[in-house]
Amino acid sequence: MLVLMTADFAADTESTAPPSKEELLTRVATGDQAAFGELYDQMAPRVLGLVKRLLIDHAQSEEVTQEIFLEIWQSATRYEPARGGASTWIMTMAHRRAVDRIRSSQAGRDRDTKIGIRDLAVAYDDVSETVETRIEHERVEKAMSRLTELQRQAISLAYYGGFSQSEVAAQLHIPLGTVKTRLRDGLIRLRDELGVAS
Amino acid sequence: MTGTENTGTPERNPGELSGAYALNALEARERAAFEAHLESSEEARIESAELSDTAVALGLATAPVQPSAALKASLMAKLSSTPQLAPLAGPASTRTTAPAADAAPAAPGLAAVPPVPPSAAGVGSRSGSGASAAERARKRWFQRPASLLAAAAAAVALFIGGTFVGLGLAGTSGTSDSFAAQQAASLAQLNAAPDVQRASATTADGHQATLVWSDTSSLSALVVDGLPALSGDKDYQLWYIGAGGAVSAGLLDTSVSASGGTAWRVLDGSLTSGDTIGMTVEPKGGSKQPTTTPIVAIQSS
Repeated sequence: MLVLMTADFAADTESTAPPSKEELLTRVATGDQAAFGELYDQMAPRVLGLVKRLLIDHAQSEEVTQEIFLEIWQSATRYEPARGGASTWIMTMAHRRAVDRIRSSQAGRDRDTKIGIRDLAVAYDDVSETVETRIEHERVEKAMSRLTELQRQAISLAYYGGFSQSEVAAQLHIPLGTVKTRLRDGLIRLRDELGVAS
Repeated sequence: MTGTENTGTPERNPGELSGAYALNALEARERAAFEAHLESSEEARIESAELSDTAVALGLATAPVQPSAALKASLMAKLSSTPQLAPLAGPASTRTTAPAADAAPAAPGLAAVPPVPPSAAGVGSRSGSGASAAERARKRWFQRPASLLAAAAAAVALFIGGTFVGLGLAGTSGTSDSFAAQQAASLAQLNAAPDVQRASATTADGHQATLVWSDTSSLSALVVDGLPALSGDKDYQLWYIGAGGAVSAGLLDTSVSASGGTAWRVLDGSLTSGDTIGMTVEPKGGSKQPTTTPIVAIQSS
């Protein structure tokens, strides 16, 4: 991995602690390209990991990842630290972009419908993970295991498969209203298991 | 719940869409209905924010994937020609320094922020001078054979002098990692130069090309959006065009731009203040002197 503009950084920061993602994003909002490079280094593998989970194809995933980071660059001025962390902001944007890509291309429709259902652990083999991501993964996996099988299926199809609620309903052969309920109840359960509160 | 299932009519109880909304599982119409509902309910906004954060946890649980080095390089090259949006009005927006902020359309919220095409960037754009520079370049190349000879001689001299690395590198076609790293480092140095300047023009087939240069560092880079890949027996070649004729500045690799990205290259050799930078299509591996009409030429002044 390239480390661009490291020298600039040393000059800019007085303290030895690396700047937080929120701090970097705030600096990006002022047109700071070095801060953007640093933020990219920290977040790009997470963003690409998510995008590739949805799109499968690596080249297309890199393309969408580039679009996402350009959007980060453009709209960093709209980021409000008080409303949430930088990675939340970035990952929310990343997921939306990946889903947009799936919905806008016919190729997206042809993906194996089992992609979304496949177990969370499957795609987690030999990756360059850190302790941090491993812990996050295990925490989420544990929380997911507290859902009903039906909730887990619906959430996986929607989030990791990028399918709309209508498509989820069609695939699982259940009424749309049931899908809405499963998605909402399942996510609320996850929220409580993960201790997410705003 | 049984009374509201799958009717296809506007939502009678939009609150139940909070889960699907957080997972981006709504169609546009459903999303609009839910966002209208959010406007009217504080409770719904809180639940929606919490469920969105929960969805992010799902995202962070996926296995990280390391992007290629080329992705970052291409992205960093695009920043200069990508304007940032104006901050939304509010107490938090004490900054007034967002570049090209006035060129950005007002957007109601993050979810609706459209990608701003680089062509909308009014950053250093001078399309008029680009066209006339191309014309001058053409005249220089095709009506003054004497300077072509001089150019060839200059190219040979540079090659012998050992500072000319473009053709050799380009012959390998694929960019090696060390080459990519060297290019990225040069681009970073260029962008960090205090006197960095930019000028844009449109290529013959309608792609936005931006020349980034710094006179003090003698560095320059050409950045082209969505440049199509050439057939296997051709390459894009860059040239310095000065009083002494045309001197090759290396080949432009399109492996990134062919998939919709941005092709860029920090030019080999040194920029002389006022040089015009041109790009031609040449036989694979490049030519000692330009053999075709430049598809774009931009003057560094």
